[in-house]
Amino acid sequence: MWIADKYIDYVKEQTSEHPGESWDKMLLGFKLNKLRTKLLPKKGISKGYQKLETMMMSFVADSLARPDSYVWGNIFSPCEIIGCFGLSTLSIECLSCYFSGYHLEDYFIDYAQNTGIAPTLCSYHKTFVGAIDSGAVPVPQYAVTTSLSCDGNLNTFRYLEKKKGVPFTFLDVPYRDDEASVNYLAEQLKEFTAELENRFGKKFDEEKLKSAIRIENETRKELMRFFKLQSERYYPGELISHLYMMMGMHLLIGTQEFLDLIRFMIEDIKNYPKFEGKKILWIHLLPFYQETLQSYFNSNRKYQIIASDIIIDSMEELDADRPFHALAKKIIRNLYNGSYSHKAEMVGHLAETLHPDAVIQFCHWGCKQSSGGSLLLKDKLQEMDIPMLILDGDGIDRRNSHDGQIKTRLEAFLEMLDSGNADETEESAEGEQEKVC
Amino acid sequence: MLGYICKYAPVEVFESMGVEMERIEPDVTNFNQAEIRMHPNICSFAKGVLEEVMSREYEGVILTTCCDSIRRLYDVLREEFPEKFIYMLDTPRITKDAGITLYEQRIRTMISEYETFSGKRFDEEKFLEYLRGKEEEQQYDIRNSSLNIGIIGARANESIKRILKENGANVAFDLTCTGLGRKILVDENAVMTGYARGLLSQFPCMRMEQAANRDELIRRSAGSVDGIIYHTVQFCDNYAYEYAWLKEWLDRPLLLLETDYTRQSGGQVRTRIEAFLESLAPEKARPEIRRKGDGTMYVMGIDSGSTSTNAVIMDQDRKIKAFSVVRTGAKSGVSADRVLKEVLEKAGLKREDISWIVSTGYGRVSIEFADENVTEISCHGKGAHYFNPKIRTILDIGGQDSKAIRLSESGEVKDFVMNDKCAAGTGRFLEMIARTLEVSLDELGAIALTSKEKIEITSMCSVFAESEVISLIANNKEKADIADGVCHAIANKASGLLRRVGMEPDFMMTGGVAKNPGVVRAVEEKIGSKLYICEEPEIVGAAGAALYALEKMGC
Repeated sequence: MWIADKYIDYVKEQTSEHPGESWDKMLLGFKLNKLRTKLLPKKGISKGYQKLETMMMSFVADSLARPDSYVWGNIFSPCEIIGCFGLSTLSIECLSCYFSGYHLEDYFIDYAQNTGIAPTLCSYHKTFVGAIDSGAVPVPQYAVTTSLSCDGNLNTFRYLEKKKGVPFTFLDVPYRDDEASVNYLAEQLKEFTAELENRFGKKFDEEKLKSAIRIENETRKELMRFFKLQSERYYPGELISHLYMMMGMHLLIGTQEFLDLIRFMIEDIKNYPKFEGKKILWIHLLPFYQETLQSYFNSNRKYQIIASDIIIDSMEELDADRPFHALAKKIIRNLYNGSYSHKAEMVGHLAETLHPDAVIQFCHWGCKQSSGGSLLLKDKLQEMDIPMLILDGDGIDRRNSHDGQIKTRLEAFLEMLDSGNADETEESAEGEQEKVC
Repeated sequence: MLGYICKYAPVEVFESMGVEMERIEPDVTNFNQAEIRMHPNICSFAKGVLEEVMSREYEGVILTTCCDSIRRLYDVLREEFPEKFIYMLDTPRITKDAGITLYEQRIRTMISEYETFSGKRFDEEKFLEYLRGKEEEQQYDIRNSSLNIGIIGARANESIKRILKENGANVAFDLTCTGLGRKILVDENAVMTGYARGLLSQFPCMRMEQAANRDELIRRSAGSVDGIIYHTVQFCDNYAYEYAWLKEWLDRPLLLLETDYTRQSGGQVRTRIEAFLESLAPEKARPEIRRKGDGTMYVMGIDSGSTSTNAVIMDQDRKIKAFSVVRTGAKSGVSADRVLKEVLEKAGLKREDISWIVSTGYGRVSIEFADENVTEISCHGKGAHYFNPKIRTILDIGGQDSKAIRLSESGEVKDFVMNDKCAAGTGRFLEMIARTLEVSLDELGAIALTSKEKIEITSMCSVFAESEVISLIANNKEKADIADGVCHAIANKASGLLRRVGMEPDFMMTGGVAKNPGVVRAVEEKIGSKLYICEEPEIVGAAGAALYALEKMGC
């Protein structure tokens, strides 16, 4: 990896010094990494997760290589509609993760903060704003965002529209789950579709969308099958594998290619041995770079992340005959929308299906909607006799995650799980939380 | 009584039913309840509302889906008060007809749920009567006789307006959340539709799709005032986007002011506002000149900081007669008395030989013998210009805070930024680390210069950084290298401040930390420029205060 590390350092240095002139080098790195994952897949992880990584590297590298082939979105944007126009949806959260592959997140975050963006804002958004505002990354011709799941969406897209001239559609997701909300959002989705027709000069084919939704239904069912198998069998993966899975479920859902991959994983996992360790249900983001968490959850026979709520945040079957209403309903009923009791209910449902030994919620710096309800979720899970650990840190900015703190909390929690005394002593691990300034 | 927080809340609906409505304005000293029930990183206003609701007798609270923190506040309140009317009103972000229709429907559902809860009845006729009787509230108030200040940004509590009034400034407009008077639309034919339309067409907040209109409204409003305070709330990130955008084009002096809705931050808030007003109106009426002694006039500046209290005596020719630096003890008044005694002794003068005393620094208001007080930001500007007129940017790192100040050619403050309620990048932080490394503060800087291995302290937060240093010690890293890493961490913070204020050379560093050669070197490396440091960097503020005193005397 020596050459790769050198290249990463080189691109980082070039970008920090001349932010407008290093894009070709960044792009070349993504393309090389795509090749690397195809020819020399990561050792020590299962075939399914290797294929997933290749798919996600190709998806991003290929899209970025053709600026007219994608729109920016957030992870809740309706990629099914966008896909009908032959376009990819590159979510700003995922792009930030890719930029951090060059360890550029600190430079971009500082850049954004120095222009006045709040230091307490989500680091994914800060990274993205810094990357674009500094001129390091080129912009596409259109973008779309939902108001779900955080305040940052509308504000980030609006800021970049003003500063860089990228127009966008804003989809207002109502809080309440009822018919009026579904109609309200479905109308917006139709208007968005018409907007894409105009901008990209292509006719919309509703049949295509219906077909994507049918595939999506199938994919979701298969994914649950896979999760059940993953709670029974040791299927080595990495923290980042779960993020790739989340990307797939949000940006490639509705494609045959992604459904085929999940089906491959279902067959592949059957070749792996029984899992005897502790099963973890993960809530919210995964700090893929974090050393301690990597050492416990990357291909570890003792502790396995069996599923995450960000991967399966919508669980219902969609009505393919009314595609816009179906997508509206899907977004409104997403577990990140509405009250926290709605989320707790859905997480509870996942727990009942998958029987995890414990739940870990990662409170990502700046994410108020997730962190703010963490204590309520803990109460709910306590009622279900499922121990829960709350970790504080940052999904992308290494400077906001302190390894010593995470290590102590996690190890204490796992020790308790292993000794079977989780309920009695869990609170003391929580007691170590330091207030973040 | 029902509480509410948002301007989109349909307050008049309830008032027409005879319900007393109160806008919740948190005035709290701590977040004890919020710490238990919510995560620390939730917006300070939401935490403040929780504290208020927990301590007051509300029948219920009407919340809107205005932001992530308020959504979670609702969850916590529901859990805490299942018997109360804790209601989340789903408020559209789109103001077009679809949004209005949905909002009307939401309001009607809310009414029916409140009827069930309270047994009261809503009567549309009465509601119409009530709306007709409402008078339009005043939105703007420009006065020719005083400085006119506009407030924009996230909701601001009354203390900002109070400080402005105490300093003789007029609040010309308040475009923050609930700052403007309510806009009521009466449509005789479709009362509720008209009402919903009126609510949604108020000056848009940052959650609304149409917030782009804000630019034009702000441009127009700003034209009539001398300066603008842009207010943000800690952990509310929405308005910082607008600040970052406005400061690129808005042609008015702009002060970014972050508060956390606790009374504790009052001191910092006051310093910033007063410094801002001073920069807008440097000319003040002169007092009568008092001359005593041998005919030479002496004045004194005294800077009461959190770590040291410094005094400078200057004569009418702007020459420093004597200066003194003492450590600030538990009471700033006592340290001030000590430094007064010491500096008078050094100068060979008596108290009555001093014509005018200006105090500055955090403790400036507690110094009883001072004739006047001026913020340390203005004083540092003046002091820096006195020591070296080429200086355009000052980095001042004191014990409690750090700031960057940009000066004009004539030494006037053009802009400034301060770190927020956080010890990272301050003298306190260095003290804390020195203690952890078991070296004195003086040694810390010196040993950093002997470092051989580059160590990066990555944590932004001083609490985390300290534990990071402890881990490094546990890993047998050299003290010199850790010290150097800490100096670079401070330099990173400092460079952020300098960039925010504009990197105009020449640079000067003031405050106690300027005596630390490790930090000085690290900052110089980071900004790629030399720092000018005067012989006694701790007295720059006091010298500036003395210069203010001289100006006051007409010198």
